[in-house]
Amino acid sequence: MDDDDLVARIASGDDAALRELFGRHASWLAVRLRAVLPAADVEDVLQETFLAAWRGAGGYRPQDACGGWLWGIARRQAALLLRRRKPAEQAGTALPADLADRDVPDPAETALARADLEVAIAALGPDGSPEREVWRLMYEQDRPVAEVAELLGVPPGTVKSRAHRVRRLLRAALRDGTAAEGGAR
Amino acid sequence: MNVEITDLTRRFGRNQAVDGVSLQAGPGVFGLLGPNGAGKTTLLRMMATVIPPTTGHLRLLGRDPGAYGPRREVRRRLGYLPQNLGYYPGFTVAEFVEYFALLKEMPAARVPAAVATAVERVDLGGRAKAKLRTLSGGMLRRVGIAQAIVNEPELLLLDEPTAGLDPEQRVNFRALLRDLGQRATVVVSTHLVEDVGAACSQVALMDQGKIVFDATPDELTARGTEQGTGDAPLERGYTAVLAAARS
Amino acid sequence: MTDTDPGIPEAPADVDLGRVWISVAAQVWRRQPGWLERTAGRLLRSPGLARALLTTPSLLLPWLLTSIAVLAAGAAATTDSGQPLVALLAPAVAAAAIAYAYGPGMDPAWELSCSMAISDRMVLLVRALAVFAVNAVLGLAASAVSASGAAAAVTFGWLIPMTAVCAFALAVATVARSANAGAAAGVAAWLITVLSGRVASGHFAAAVTDTFLFLPYLAIGAVCAAIALYATRIPRGTLR
Repeated sequence: MDDDDLVARIASGDDAALRELFGRHASWLAVRLRAVLPAADVEDVLQETFLAAWRGAGGYRPQDACGGWLWGIARRQAALLLRRRKPAEQAGTALPADLADRDVPDPAETALARADLEVAIAALGPDGSPEREVWRLMYEQDRPVAEVAELLGVPPGTVKSRAHRVRRLLRAALRDGTAAEGGAR
Repeated sequence: MNVEITDLTRRFGRNQAVDGVSLQAGPGVFGLLGPNGAGKTTLLRMMATVIPPTTGHLRLLGRDPGAYGPRREVRRRLGYLPQNLGYYPGFTVAEFVEYFALLKEMPAARVPAAVATAVERVDLGGRAKAKLRTLSGGMLRRVGIAQAIVNEPELLLLDEPTAGLDPEQRVNFRALLRDLGQRATVVVSTHLVEDVGAACSQVALMDQGKIVFDATPDELTARGTEQGTGDAPLERGYTAVLAAARS
Repeated sequence: MTDTDPGIPEAPADVDLGRVWISVAAQVWRRQPGWLERTAGRLLRSPGLARALLTTPSLLLPWLLTSIAVLAAGAAATTDSGQPLVALLAPAVAAAAIAYAYGPGMDPAWELSCSMAISDRMVLLVRALAVFAVNAVLGLAASAVSASGAAAAVTFGWLIPMTAVCAFALAVATVARSANAGAAAGVAAWLITVLSGRVASGHFAAAVTDTFLFLPYLAIGAVCAAIALYATRIPRGTLR
């Protein structure tokens, strides 16, 4: 039974389907969350995620990828959790009152966005592959195309087309949110 | 010591079902073996405070269950699986376990998590909301085990718990027993000798209302080397001890 | 919950997925008691007794047996025979039927119930209330609909008073924390009800001056108690 069928059954109140969904997805969600949160918080967020999935399964459309849907819920729950904690955490940082909550990006969102990005970069290929190298040199180190072409020993046209592919892959990975899901499902 | 029994007897009319039994059990898994009619079930029922003894002393979890107050305290910390447990067909697995959790006076706030834990421990997580009338005999037995362990009892009494379980389920069950025996006293009455050998740290053998053997499974095996019939070492010990007791 | 699919990554070592699932399952599998059950739980000071009360009709076979017995006893009790004996005996018959049907006779989990912290006699008392209360409501409906006075006679002469007696018995049992005390209070209440009814209708004088009738009255009381106690006796089970 594929994930879409499982979610449909969850929407009709089948708790065994929720259990099956948990068995398939909780692991990779835990891995992704653990990169951003301590273990105890990961457990809390996972619990809230699957309870939210149980209640909100009716809103799932089959064209969403199930993994992306679950990760979206997990992100929101993680952000909620971090925001609830925020007052305590900001006790240590000395932000002037007029700057706080304005131009400073929400640390919760930042952390989660970084986690998403790391996972999407991993989707470009293994370390050392052409796409990863282009990403590293052009986007992380901010070098011009000519310099990257010289460092990699390929013509500038190749660099440009690889960069184009990198952007395409990243866009797809960030949109679907399925980049690090264990095996295609 | 969670169970202290001294010279316990129980008669039904002219039938002396339990005839002067003394034993002690602390944390761990305690096996109770014996042929049909030996008095195992009656002994277990006395330990479950279902029937009072005719004579003798019984102390459970450091209390005397003869008085109402201590008996209620014992029952809150007790888990019991009778030999013949029926079920309420219209209840679901979770409802059945929850019903007995409430009757054991578990605090209501702790009940949902305790029910979930018990149901998962007996591997019925995929059928928590299935009606009992749709379950097989082995599954119903596991529901019975779940209600017995739901309140994390300090004294767990199981009468023929593996009836209807297939070999794989019996392996899982023995693992569960060993886990429970870490903190609690688990008394398992069974006529399947292999169940005893694999999980129990102490074994007692009953015949005609009396205890004829009370030691470790290895010592029971040792008794079988001289004489005794059976396919497995424990079985040979079992038959040897019975033969000696009856001669 | 064992995943043997090699494609699924392992969870981080310090994240306990089993515990997470248990906390999810606890919410998903839990039963939400209705307002009636919650109220009963507060009145009885016990969510377990409230659950026993409300599941009484759902145990079908015992429910049918007790309802028939209760209605038959009621029909006998409300026929005007001038003899108080029948009216006094009727609750004993009803109690025996309830104790048997929801007890060792037909409750598949009876032996297990005898090992519970909430005593089996309290549960039976609560179930007796359920049996009378539901049948009283049905009786009211039947009286409103039917032309003959039989339904009204049984409802107002038996079902409703017995519901009150059971509620009283349960209240005493809850306060005294003893099912036996509650049952005794209920028996006393019924005796008073019947005898005061006889006073009102002028038969009391005859009842009192006929001294040899005192013995039957005492015997009735003893029989009521004996039947209820016998029916809730320690189960023998199968001797194996």
